[in-house]
Amino acid sequence: MTEPVRVLSVAPSPAFWVATVAYAAASVLLFIVLAGHKKLRPAALVLVGIACAAHATDIGWRGVEHVHPAESVREALGFLSFILTGGYLVATTRYRLTLGGVVVMPVALVLLLLARLTPAGAEPESLSSLGRIHIVLATIGVGIFALASALSAIYLAEDRALKNKKFDGAVFKDGGAPIEALDRISHRLIWVGFPIFTVALVLGAIWVSRLGQSIGRIEYALAAVTWVAFATLLVARQIYGWRGRRAARLTLSGFTGALVVLVIYLIRRIAGG
Amino acid sequence: MSELFVVGLSWRTAKVDVREKLAFREDELADVLRALTSSLPVAEALLISTCNRVEVYGVGKPGEDPTTVVRAFLCEQKKVKPRDVAEALYDRRGPAAIRHVFSVASSLDSLVVGEAQILGQLKAAYSVAGTAGTNGPVLSRALERAFGVAKRVRTETPIARGSANVSSVAVELAARVFGNLDGKNVLVIGAGKMSTLAARHLYSEGAHKIVVTNRSPEKAAALAAEIEGVAKPFDDLEALLTEADVVISSTGAREPILTRPLFKKVTKARRWKPMIVIDIAVPRDADPAINDLEGVYLYDIDALDKVVQANLAERAKAAEQAGKIVEHEAVQFEQWLRTQGVVPTIRALREHFAHVADAEVGKALDQLGKKDLTRDQQRELLQRTVQLVVNKLLHAPTTALRGAQPDEATVRAAIVCELFGLEPSEETTDPVAEPAGSEQAAERKAQA
Repeated sequence: MTEPVRVLSVAPSPAFWVATVAYAAASVLLFIVLAGHKKLRPAALVLVGIACAAHATDIGWRGVEHVHPAESVREALGFLSFILTGGYLVATTRYRLTLGGVVVMPVALVLLLLARLTPAGAEPESLSSLGRIHIVLATIGVGIFALASALSAIYLAEDRALKNKKFDGAVFKDGGAPIEALDRISHRLIWVGFPIFTVALVLGAIWVSRLGQSIGRIEYALAAVTWVAFATLLVARQIYGWRGRRAARLTLSGFTGALVVLVIYLIRRIAGG
Repeated sequence: MSELFVVGLSWRTAKVDVREKLAFREDELADVLRALTSSLPVAEALLISTCNRVEVYGVGKPGEDPTTVVRAFLCEQKKVKPRDVAEALYDRRGPAAIRHVFSVASSLDSLVVGEAQILGQLKAAYSVAGTAGTNGPVLSRALERAFGVAKRVRTETPIARGSANVSSVAVELAARVFGNLDGKNVLVIGAGKMSTLAARHLYSEGAHKIVVTNRSPEKAAALAAEIEGVAKPFDDLEALLTEADVVISSTGAREPILTRPLFKKVTKARRWKPMIVIDIAVPRDADPAINDLEGVYLYDIDALDKVVQANLAERAKAAEQAGKIVEHEAVQFEQWLRTQGVVPTIRALREHFAHVADAEVGKALDQLGKKDLTRDQQRELLQRTVQLVVNKLLHAPTTALRGAQPDEATVRAAIVCELFGLEPSEETTDPVAEPAGSEQAAERKAQA
């Protein structure tokens, strides 16, 4: 017997198109700034601000249309993209993170496009409050991990430039945040994101068991691996003082796991699985 | 109007043994300036004498080119044979002099482009000229503008960014790694001059504590006292390294003392917190392999020089941008200077016009006070007075036009047309009909 379904999609709002154009333009402009045209930096940040505001408007508009960020993995991806941009914008008030922008803006754009332009597929009617809380918490947790990962990526680039004395490279010229601060802030973000992600994982397990699905799926296993990676990082840092490159690489590995989980979810939803 | 001139030598044209021959002590400057302006055709003068340049900036008296005599004056003051410095000395006049002063103030003509010291030295020289009373309107305006240009260059271009010497590089690297040096510990190993300089620089930038260690405790104590640091025994090196965030090493050791096994223990004890190791020693004190360890950033003398060279290359690029600012400002200054040439003429013209008008208005007012005039008579008196003023003002130029030779008359007529925005008609008869002596005739009529 076919399960009753509802299609969770509304047409992209005008704000979405504004956000898309602003994200793309900001990505290009930040790249030009990194290449040496530093005078364009304020213009690039204005574009990031426009993208962020348009993105927020789009999320609000979808909310009015009863499509909330917790409605599906697809919507959660859009929300994740928004968290990334917002976090980047906040960080730029303190540090010159052009390199971070070159990494974050295209990722945010891709996530937004995946969230809005991929086929909506069908979502089972049985999306309970538990499921919604799970999606919201998981999205926030992964969003925070994404910010920590962006900082870790910048850390690795700056560490490499400092160790190899690449003084004429774009990373060194950019003069971004000091690497000690990058390491510290990334660690703090993981401390904040980890409990949220843990609760999301537990609620997800309960939700899945209530739905009667098997917990042997690859995405569940990968989510568990992600959790283990971040747990290891926190414990190793606390007990053995792990930091620097090792911590940055582990953060990036953990986030990659979380991202793969999201992509698998998305593909399953598109396929109607 | 006299133009600005520059006479002098700098690192570009003279080696230090030549520069030092013409260098002036600070306490000599005022007297030299007074002698310069009193005995030579120099109306305004400023003398700057630094390790990299000795230059006189001045303004000649009207119609004089003082550069040759100023050259001779400098040689005479320092008892130097002119031929010994003839090739090193240069002079600039007018626009070239303005550009030179602006470039010097903006540090574009400095040995290390973008260094900030020259601006302070120029301000000090300007102050001495002020005290000596040899500053004048042109020189003051030029220097004030030069300071403004220097500020523009520093704020609008990256000319002063990046360290241009080894001790500043240590601070720059610390900023890359730690953000700032507040609360950071500095360990100085050895007692070399460069490490002392670098340690001092770090201390001035906020390094919390400087510890000095050396195989000779006496030397360590002496250096520690000099830089407000603390001397510690060399035997405690491992413990000292564990505490340090920035290490500056310059011992005379033949073999590396900062070895990989030692640093493996140190980094673990530090829980891999970042540390910068600056090795200024030759032969090197640090094993290059420690750079591979987590949290260790090793910079030897070549690497530091690489940073300096990279920064200087950036400054050279910025200098091109700064050159455009200097050019733009120099053109504006030249325009201002040109207007200064006609200012006395404008002032005299205005005074002459005001004098003529005041005299005639005074006479008219006298007549109004003496006679009880009807309204029509008052109007006539007013018209006559205005006519009289106009005639008096036009009398001299009209006479000059009429009296000029044909070629000259055409030129003068064209100038008058341009000045007053006239478009003369082609009439051949004299439309003005102003008989000779009309000024006097009008005056007589007014008096009647």
